[in-house]
Amino acid sequence: MKVSVPVVLGAALLLGVGSASALRGQAPTTFIVESPTMTTGRFMPRDYSPDGRNLSPPLSWRGLPIGTRQLAVISQDYGAGRPPPWVHWIIYNIPGDAQGLPEGIPFDPDQPMPAEITGAVQGNNGWGLPAYRGPAPPPGSVHNYHFAVFALDEELNLPPGLDRGELLLAIEGHVIGQVDMVTLYERQPMNEFPR
Amino acid sequence: MSTQLRGTDVVIVGLGAAGGVAALPLAEAGLSVVGLEAGTWLDQRDFAPDEIRNNYRDWPMLVKKAEQERPTSRATSATTANQIGGHPMMNAVGGTTLHYWAQSWRLNPWDFRLVSETTRRYGASRIPYGSTVEDWPFGYDELEPYYDRVERELGISGQAGNIRGNINSRGNRFEGPRERDFPMPPLRWTAFHDRMADAARSMGWSPFPGPAAINTETYQNRPGCGYHGFCNKGGCPINAKNATHITTIPRAVDTGNLKVVTRAHVTTLEVGTDGRVSGVNYVVGSNEYFQPAKVVLIASYTYENVRLLLLSKSRAYPDGLSNNHGQVGRHYFSHHQGAGVGALFPYDIGAWYGLPAQGVAVDDWADDNFDHSDLDFIGGGNLWAMSDRRPISAASMSTYGQGRNWGSAWKRFIHEHSDRTHGAYIQKTTLPYEDNYLDLDPQVTDPLGLPVIRITGQYKDNERAIAAFMQDKMEEWYREAGAIEVNRGGLGNTMGASTHAYGGTRMGDDSETNVVDRWGFSHEAPNLGVLGASVMGTSGARNPTLTSQALSWRTAAHLVESWTDIAE
Amino acid sequence: MTDSNGRRPAISRRDLLRTAGAAGAAALVPGAVAAVTEETPATPSPASTGEVQGQVGGSLPSEPAPFFARPLTNLTARETEILSAMVDRLIPSDEMGPGALEAGVIRYIDRALSEAESDAADAYRSGLAALDTYSRYTRGGPFIDLSTIDQDSVLIDVQIGAATGAGVGFVGGSGSFFNLVKSHTWQGMFGDPEYGGNVNFAGWDLLDYPGVRLRVSPEDQRRMEAGQLEPVRRSAYDYSIFE
Repeated sequence: MKVSVPVVLGAALLLGVGSASALRGQAPTTFIVESPTMTTGRFMPRDYSPDGRNLSPPLSWRGLPIGTRQLAVISQDYGAGRPPPWVHWIIYNIPGDAQGLPEGIPFDPDQPMPAEITGAVQGNNGWGLPAYRGPAPPPGSVHNYHFAVFALDEELNLPPGLDRGELLLAIEGHVIGQVDMVTLYERQPMNEFPR
Repeated sequence: MSTQLRGTDVVIVGLGAAGGVAALPLAEAGLSVVGLEAGTWLDQRDFAPDEIRNNYRDWPMLVKKAEQERPTSRATSATTANQIGGHPMMNAVGGTTLHYWAQSWRLNPWDFRLVSETTRRYGASRIPYGSTVEDWPFGYDELEPYYDRVERELGISGQAGNIRGNINSRGNRFEGPRERDFPMPPLRWTAFHDRMADAARSMGWSPFPGPAAINTETYQNRPGCGYHGFCNKGGCPINAKNATHITTIPRAVDTGNLKVVTRAHVTTLEVGTDGRVSGVNYVVGSNEYFQPAKVVLIASYTYENVRLLLLSKSRAYPDGLSNNHGQVGRHYFSHHQGAGVGALFPYDIGAWYGLPAQGVAVDDWADDNFDHSDLDFIGGGNLWAMSDRRPISAASMSTYGQGRNWGSAWKRFIHEHSDRTHGAYIQKTTLPYEDNYLDLDPQVTDPLGLPVIRITGQYKDNERAIAAFMQDKMEEWYREAGAIEVNRGGLGNTMGASTHAYGGTRMGDDSETNVVDRWGFSHEAPNLGVLGASVMGTSGARNPTLTSQALSWRTAAHLVESWTDIAE
Repeated sequence: MTDSNGRRPAISRRDLLRTAGAAGAAALVPGAVAAVTEETPATPSPASTGEVQGQVGGSLPSEPAPFFARPLTNLTARETEILSAMVDRLIPSDEMGPGALEAGVIRYIDRALSEAESDAADAYRSGLAALDTYSRYTRGGPFIDLSTIDQDSVLIDVQIGAATGAGVGFVGGSGSFFNLVKSHTWQGMFGDPEYGGNVNFAGWDLLDYPGVRLRVSPEDQRRMEAGQLEPVRRSAYDYSIFE
């Protein structure tokens, strides 16, 4: 049974993107981003980290701005990386009519994308892999993990393998909506939950 | 209990690149020479084209002496030095020339006159802050006859660019004038080299083939290079790589005046009450020997040269032999040859059969060959596009952002790209600085309990500025030749143990700031000579070996001429 | 026996490869139990390299991958199973050709641990145990029982150093264990077949490496650049000068 908790957000957040989200004099609008298995501001389940199965978490969205043609998602940690943020996941060319991202997007390039997001491609995360790799903060520290969802006004159909900087440059001027869902994670001891 | 041996005229400590060359003029002049070498003889049968052995099992460390003495290193005196990795040099008769890349360059005239030329053209304030660099005590013209002699004795192949002022555009138009051409033509180029040369010319640069201590045709009864592809850290199975163990050393032995002692581990030099060196202590296994000599030449590579002096304390030299002016270990630097650039091409390069000495060079951005008025550094670098590829290293290539470096998708990637990557290391002007030096490590010792060398060294702003500039140039060159991806290494920080290590026993007229005089003999102990790059005060944008060999011949020739002054 | 200048006979290949045959020779025949012997092979037997002596090029008999059938010298049966499963994911057998197991990488690693790399044996033991522990705690089963997708997921996390939960047991970080196994796997896959791997030149063929030659003429080079050079399938040690 999915439990959807609306994301509580004020104005749209500009995540260090600079002017990337300004478009034709309009500020990007907000929409709703949720997850059936995660709650904003709360700890992520361990299966979205290397303490568990390290699957990409599911996201769902609604209320997209009118004219949304494609979406992009960046998952990043501003408490890591030199310089920050450390990028855990980049996925884009998500069809504008998709309602979210299912759990467990393949990390192997030979596995097909789920049908509901046909055409989506992954970019290179901080480890240089076109995949989701979940939180692994130093033991004892709690980090914040942002899932930044960008609604774009055009089917940019960008090539796979872009890193964060390249993606942000490519979507500049096309962002009509932007939402940031933030969750937490702390390393779980291995021996408390033997499987 | 040490056995005192019968005296000899000259002892050479170390029969590698430099010591192996000096032995010949001394022996030919009729002096009795004992060459003490920590390693052993090796020959062609030991040099199988075996990448696992050569490149992954560190075969050069068969005799472990250098390995067990490897230096520690740290960036500044504020930190503790660590001993990491293997020692880059080899103990053997012929030393590291047995497996080195054999690139065999002369320095350019500017390298000998860096201070006065920079001052003249840009002003003295352009000498980087904190650098202790000096002009050499002589210029390129003084060394030219010795370059010429050694090129012929060893067998260096190449294409002259300047013969007595006549410029040949197929060679290096920036080089110092040569009396005559190389003894052999240069190594051949592949189609990729041709392409890189065309790309360079289209940008207005002047590409030329690099010089090598490698035969390109039959020379001294040894065949020309087979291009088999295992030259990098590999011995030559056909004796086309002109190491000293197949060139100058056997000719010296044939005079009857050179005695080679192998497995000889030299520990200290002895000094008499008159402040002159009296001989050398060494061990073979558990047996100790003292070899008296009238003259001692140390040629054990930069780190060991300095170490021997610092370990050889006596009443006359309480801080180490020839160190009363505190200059032993000073003015040290590791050549800045990192901060490399890699590229991915959309076509096969044909690099399976080739060698690192085979390639296209560009000196347009070396030394002071371009105007530095609006730049924030002096000096420059040599751009070098070589051939070097073996299976394991090819399969370990970067995926250039195209995903995981293992698995099924990777197999498809490597099948297509195995011969499509290229890497360039870039040799750059490197300077000595006040706070970069060698000394004895306070903690780490070798198996005999003797302290190893500690490197305190950091690349400074000038080196890093050159590095960034040269990476831009190399990327430009790669892309002009069609590269689709380019990546870069970091600009460099700590000076680690290097195959190009300079200084520590610097040569110069001023005894306050140099250990040896213009002939390579100690300012303080007149019958002590030093051979090798430890006498060099600047690096230039090229390998030190040929220069150290030319200097070595010159030191030996001077010793012969001035024998009674120095030895008696 | 040295001459007056210390010159002595060259080190023979036998000396250099030392106990190469200790495990290797006995591991050639599927089903045989490996015993440590004092023998060293003077020349590679046909089964060890998959090459018929004197035959260059052409098609060669393929040898079944010698794993699981018997314990190796330096690894227990259990360790061998886990290592084999890991190595099988690093370079799988697929439409691009034989993978690491078929190419004899496990045999290469076992020999390497005997002869030149004995310091690594402890790292293998602790690393393979940690790999299995990590798999059980995070993916719900022993490594060898996971799906290939889950095995790959585990190995990615081990490679990037994320498999660092307390109690897992990677000494010095999971990344260094991954790199140790990967570097040995690459040596075994793409190194000279003299060492037990690169069986039937599977590794060199994947790279289109044209083979070990002592002399490459300008014509050879041109033909290689045109994709017309036939590969030479020889070990370096098949050249008599190096015996």
